Amino acid sequence: MMIWPMVVAAVVSAVCAVVGTMLVVRRMSLLGDAIGHGVLPGIVVAVLAGGRPGGMLSTLGAVAAAVLTVWAADAVRRRARLSEDAAAGVVFTTFFAVGVVLISLYASRVDLDPGCVLHGILELAAADTVSILGVMVPRPLVNGLVALAVVVAFLAATWPAQVFAAFDTDAARVVGVPVGIATTGLLAMTAVATVASFEAVGAVLVVAMLVVPAATAELLFRSLGRVMAAAVAIAVTSAVAGYLAAWRWNTSGAGMIAVVLGLGYLAAVLVAPGEGIIPRLAGKAWLVWRVACEDVLAAAWRREEAGGVVPTAPGGLLASLAGSWLRLRGKVEGPIARPALTDAGRGEAETIVRSHRLWEAWLGRNVELPVDHLHPPAEWVEHYLGADVRKRIEEEVGAASSDPHGREIPTERG
Amino acid sequence: MTAQDRLESLLSHNTLVVAGGVAAVGVAAAVVGCFGVLRRRALVGDAAAHATLPGIAAAFALTGRRELWVLLAGAAVSAIASLGALSLIRRHTRTRDDAATAIVLGVSYGAGIAAISGLVARGVAGSAGLEAFLLGSTAALTLHDSLLVAAISAVVVAVVLAGLKEATLVAFDPAFAAVAGWPVGWIDAVLVALTASMVVAALPTAGAVLVTAMVVIPPAAARQWTDRVPTMLGIAGFVGLVSSLAGVAASALVPRLATGPAVVLASAAVFLASLGARFLRTSWRPPGVSES
Amino acid sequence: MTAGVDKTSIVELHDVTVAYGRKPVLWNVDLSIDAPCLYGIIGPNGAGKSTLVKAALGLVPLSGGSVRFFGKPLDEVRGRIGYVPQRESVDWDFPVSAIDVVLMGTYHRLSWFRRPGRRERDTAMDCLDRVGLADVANRQIGGLSGGQQQRVFLARALAQEADVYFLDEPMAGVDARSQERILQVLSGLRDRGSLVVIVHHDLRTAADWFDRVALVDMRLVAAGPTAEVLSRENLTRTYSGHLELLDEIGRAMQTGRRTR
Repeated sequence: MMIWPMVVAAVVSAVCAVVGTMLVVRRMSLLGDAIGHGVLPGIVVAVLAGGRPGGMLSTLGAVAAAVLTVWAADAVRRRARLSEDAAAGVVFTTFFAVGVVLISLYASRVDLDPGCVLHGILELAAADTVSILGVMVPRPLVNGLVALAVVVAFLAATWPAQVFAAFDTDAARVVGVPVGIATTGLLAMTAVATVASFEAVGAVLVVAMLVVPAATAELLFRSLGRVMAAAVAIAVTSAVAGYLAAWRWNTSGAGMIAVVLGLGYLAAVLVAPGEGIIPRLAGKAWLVWRVACEDVLAAAWRREEAGGVVPTAPGGLLASLAGSWLRLRGKVEGPIARPALTDAGRGEAETIVRSHRLWEAWLGRNVELPVDHLHPPAEWVEHYLGADVRKRIEEEVGAASSDPHGREIPTERG
Repeated sequence: MTAQDRLESLLSHNTLVVAGGVAAVGVAAAVVGCFGVLRRRALVGDAAAHATLPGIAAAFALTGRRELWVLLAGAAVSAIASLGALSLIRRHTRTRDDAATAIVLGVSYGAGIAAISGLVARGVAGSAGLEAFLLGSTAALTLHDSLLVAAISAVVVAVVLAGLKEATLVAFDPAFAAVAGWPVGWIDAVLVALTASMVVAALPTAGAVLVTAMVVIPPAAARQWTDRVPTMLGIAGFVGLVSSLAGVAASALVPRLATGPAVVLASAAVFLASLGARFLRTSWRPPGVSES
Repeated sequence: MTAGVDKTSIVELHDVTVAYGRKPVLWNVDLSIDAPCLYGIIGPNGAGKSTLVKAALGLVPLSGGSVRFFGKPLDEVRGRIGYVPQRESVDWDFPVSAIDVVLMGTYHRLSWFRRPGRRERDTAMDCLDRVGLADVANRQIGGLSGGQQQRVFLARALAQEADVYFLDEPMAGVDARSQERILQVLSGLRDRGSLVVIVHHDLRTAADWFDRVALVDMRLVAAGPTAEVLSRENLTRTYSGHLELLDEIGRAMQTGRRTR
């Protein structure tokens, strides 16, 4: 009987990921944390009043407690001259302490285990079943599916307002988008998601379920729709993988799901296309290599121009490696220390020198910089100019066919 | 309980030992917490607090010992590691600060839960007691333990008071401090490390989940009474002291009431009273916001 | 003071480039200021004026070039430099009074852990008096008007007793009376031989206030005596913006690829 807890984990993770995406893009992750803690007294009071965890009454209690948490945090921030995080910290720890005290004082009447409150017990949650069409289904699964339906329906109904508010809250307010309703609704949905996952993952770990999938997805995608889809996929995958890992090593399912989510985030930080640490390092290395090759070519071109007497060839290991590579590609020939251009390499070299001298000419016209200071910036910018930009610079510096040092600017080759 | 029983329970050796340790921690956490609140980084301590759990579990698993100082050493290592991770995320990724805090907090707490549950499930002797660090448990605090956390508290308060000038400067205007040549990054790092130390020292009192209240609520209450940093530190320390003692007393008198939540609720009550008092004061005597 | 040090520039920026990420926001600035004066750094919003000052003071890293004060690196002369950050850069709800803030200007003369004493208090009080705020010395800074807050910042820089002062937008959101007072204090500093560098965005007042200006718009457009620099041609070059070019190349640098 290990399939049901896994399904429960997957469903509540999905609910949290959907709501969490909106929280993360609106920079409201802190509220997710606050609500996770803040709902506790609401649930406990509801249970004391005869509700069951995850039932209708405790959902109402949780939503009420969530709204109260957010309202109180905002009131404290405004009235007590405190920053947002300090105000939230005061309020949610207090609410949570109230919940814990109620549980311990009324332990005999409350069917809540302190451990369950903090980190949930998936197996226990799944063992509580109801019969639907003759199949025994875990009650938390039913609750999770209902919560998923409610959350998706709410977001679908308010989607344009949600997107606008996420993109630019002030502008949305100005053009009359009901930002207040969108935001309050989002907080209520956070409470719904928190209650739905309460038995499975508890009040503290729910913050990982809310925030981590969306934060991971944000590193991979830009558009809101894709971020949300990816967040749900990451959440469900992590729930399954985390649960299996917990089963394999005989430990807490919710804890392992959080760990897997963390590993997923770490992986995204490392390999996210374009922004990951590894692609960035690779991009940097490739840039260094390209610059080294282009510098060898440009130096060879200048030597040709000056009749072979220019001594400033790039030296060092990187330059000789670049020289060897260019010789292999048939772009230069002769000794690596003083290579000569082949016909194949000459065009490329000319483009670099052209970029260099065009930039010197542009700087000479537009920037207050002495003539002997023009070379170093051009040495650096020459590697970034494409054909379009070269043409625009040429138009701007006019018909001048020489750079500020009086040397000829090579013409563009087709 | 009769009145006599109550008095005895309050003055029992055990209660006094606990009260001493908890009071020291309450004062020091409140004092160092002032700079977290003023620097608008009140919840950095919360991330560190949740991140102590894997360290506690690892220290226990590696050494097989349950002395408080061993567990707290592990807690300190993983708390500092989590703060390092937080700063790396902020510097090298697009993830925003609030989400970064939530990620570090949630994931490291999950790792701690998984580690502790794993140890318990394997029936490792004594591992069940580790769960006491979730919500705190002062019942088992020995005289030795109390002295340990009191010593940490004393060192932290001494460092904060010695560096009051530097800490205030950096908290108020880091750019100005940097131009004047103060090592802003290091001063900040020391303040964060002191906060992490107090979070660790306060773990037996309030546990990983509630300990952040001990560094946030007393400073927030103190801010309502004064417009000066040294005074704020003093009042925060006093609020920390009073709410710690009230929490210990309440937990000694009320059966099943744990010390940690009681301390938190006591300081929350002081905070509410402080806020109310400020309103009364300012409505009697309007603030002098006039152009001169 | 410093006026007599011959041939050595007070401030010298050599080919300074500043980038956020790899994208330059300030290109190849070469600027040297040789004599005490009121020196305006002028340019449109987002032109990199504040960035230039922050780079000179080591608050943002240089991605190219170098900065020297009195011919020496910044770390050797920090005690001779006063700084007034933008007013919005701090939390005015912070629990300090006006005199506490001004006292911070004396801290660099105190060693670690030493508290300011009678002498520092006298200096601070004197500086508050010079900006006309002696009577609000003990008021919490949030209770002051915008102009008063700016003058408190100025008093703190005065307490640094520096030879070079950098002020970032000191006139922004400040009432006319405070502006006048600030200008008067700054002129006094110049007359006593200090260099005062002011980031400013209003062209009209710049012409009246500053002895020399540098016109900045992602690069240094022109620098020199105010009337000369604020010529129609230079202003056109600054405000007509052929900066898409710099922007486009900057973005290419960010990605490490070539432009179109």
